Amino acid sequence: MPNQPSSLRSLLLPTSTRRGFLKLAGATAAFSALAQLRVLPAAAACSGEQASGDRFFDAAETEILTQLMQRMVETGLPDAPQVRDTRAVATVDAVCRGLDPAVSGLLPLALLLVEWSPPLFDLRFARFTTLGADGQDASLRSWMTSRLPFRRTAFLGLRNLCFLGWYSQPETWSLIGYQGPLVPRAAAGRAPA
Amino acid sequence: MIETLLERGGDLVARADVCVIGSGAGGAVAAAELAASGRDVVVLEQGEHWTSRDFTQREDEMLPRLFEEAGMRQTLDGGITILQGRCVGGSTVHNLCYAFRTPPPILRMWREQHALPELTEAALAESFARVEANLRVKPIREDEVNTLNRLLRSGSEKLGYSGFVTQHNRENCVRAGYCLLGCSYDAKQSMLVTYVPRASEAGARVFAGARAERIEAPPAGPRRVLGHVVDPTGRVHGSITVEARTIVLAAGAIASPDLLLRSGLGGPEVGRHLHLHPSVMVAGYWPEPIHAYRGIPQSYYIDEFIDLERDPHSGYVLMPISGFPVLAAVNTPGFGREHFRQMRDFSKLGGLLVLLHDRSEGSVRSGDSLGKPEIRYALDPEDRALLAEGMRHCAEVLFAAGAERVVAPFLLEPLVLSRGADLGEIARREVREGTLPIASTHPQSTCRMGGDPASSVVNAFGELHGVRGVFVADMSVFPTSLGAPPQITTAALADRTAHHIIARGSELAG
Repeated sequence: MPNQPSSLRSLLLPTSTRRGFLKLAGATAAFSALAQLRVLPAAAACSGEQASGDRFFDAAETEILTQLMQRMVETGLPDAPQVRDTRAVATVDAVCRGLDPAVSGLLPLALLLVEWSPPLFDLRFARFTTLGADGQDASLRSWMTSRLPFRRTAFLGLRNLCFLGWYSQPETWSLIGYQGPLVPRAAAGRAPA
Repeated sequence: MIETLLERGGDLVARADVCVIGSGAGGAVAAAELAASGRDVVVLEQGEHWTSRDFTQREDEMLPRLFEEAGMRQTLDGGITILQGRCVGGSTVHNLCYAFRTPPPILRMWREQHALPELTEAALAESFARVEANLRVKPIREDEVNTLNRLLRSGSEKLGYSGFVTQHNRENCVRAGYCLLGCSYDAKQSMLVTYVPRASEAGARVFAGARAERIEAPPAGPRRVLGHVVDPTGRVHGSITVEARTIVLAAGAIASPDLLLRSGLGGPEVGRHLHLHPSVMVAGYWPEPIHAYRGIPQSYYIDEFIDLERDPHSGYVLMPISGFPVLAAVNTPGFGREHFRQMRDFSKLGGLLVLLHDRSEGSVRSGDSLGKPEIRYALDPEDRALLAEGMRHCAEVLFAAGAERVVAPFLLEPLVLSRGADLGEIARREVREGTLPIASTHPQSTCRMGGDPASSVVNAFGELHGVRGVFVADMSVFPTSLGAPPQITTAALADRTAHHIIARGSELAG
């Protein structure tokens, strides 16, 4: 990854330019906020307030994922279903519940990074879920085109997860002309997760 | 007997003549042949036991059930997605049934460059014949060629390219098209419906949800396989101890070296020389719906750009590919409205895959977590150039076949080409890991076979150099990239290994 060292250097090393200083200050603030946020779920768990154990993502993560997925799968069609109207997010949650924690463990952190990426990487002092559609698209584009390989990789992982949730919903199939499975739903031997 | 350990509960303590680890194209064949010879066989399969009743033809349900890491396994840098089976039957449950024997020039190279004089076509003929009979391999009939394959064949022929309709292992196929998600009709002659039941009927005990974690192979006495009963999330529910005179490791080219490394077996070559057959799909969109996902997904095979007689080390083939909505979405670059502009034409989509016979080599090393080995792989410049060239030829064939636009899936800036466009633009883009969705369904060569213990892991019969009674029987034994679909080669080499064990009689069994 030839551009990784220079990118890391530009983010982490002290710099004499005003822009560089602001970038570093913003990143520091965002990392601090992120660190505090990481404490919250643990505190909630200690006080018995954590979301019920049958869901992979907690309420805050679910909201980030919902808004993220809406931007990923936006059709622009006025009569297309919205992510909130479908089981797309619940489907992703179910898939993640079935994964080895060694695989799924980073997903909540990735969502948290998406939430805090505007101040962390784009010098915008707003969280992802408080941005409008255009702002969210711009934030996601900065992930997609980032010089940092881990951001591009995380973007692709989350993008693919969103597509898995969305395009497995029968109500999306008519939008793309997919005729759907030939096996009747009732014929499935075991209930889906 | 096929038993899911989680349903039974408790620990597993067993004794057998042979313990086979894995139930895919290698393990199932070895288990069935050994059980049929009268050996007492135990099979440990990490994945679950699904049957055709469970195959719902839905991606959100089948990808997590059938694939390692729900289809999201990647190389360490995230550059290549590796699709491997994780269920009873292994990758044969989701493969697309191309059924090729090992190309003769590849066998010759293995004989001459890897000190394997035994690997002649004549020596393998019996194994090939037996495997092909059991998998009911036959030519695909003309009337079974689906719309996409027919169109691409016509495009390829217009350009004068070499290609042919292949053989497959299906019986009474209803041409639903869902092979990739498991056959709901038991028409695909995967290990799940052929060799695994055959092994079971011959007395083998097949355990699903059984993760092997360590092999103990002292110089004398029985060997032991240690592991755990696991659920699909990897949670441990009990311990496994199997004592056996002989062990056949067939967990695939990622898990097999991982297990050997964790066991301190196999020497310094274990995990090296990883080949992936990396592939990229180029998408074509026709003016009218073609519903490419219906019918046999792959029946035509374009071999114009591989000449193993001239150069057994490199080249590429082009293979039709369709998919379902999620897989199509993943392979379509971008997000949001830009992404949907392509997805709304899903019914008009047909793909052509360039599959590389790769010179590049990677490695597998044990990671911090069980079941999550570190896979490193980087395409070398020659292979990148070949991949770019292959993508250009994909676009050429798609246009000749009637596609009105072609999308090369560059992730940062999708390349949408219309008829008459300069296809050279593909080669001018950066073709490498991370710039394109590159996938692998054929990891291989990480426990490679060879006559020299200094440069290989197993001998010509798959036995570890210097460790009597421990064999490897999966794609990891290929000395080099195969350059062809691997199912039949894997099964035939495993058959040969099994009959070698049988021939050695009481030394290795009983």
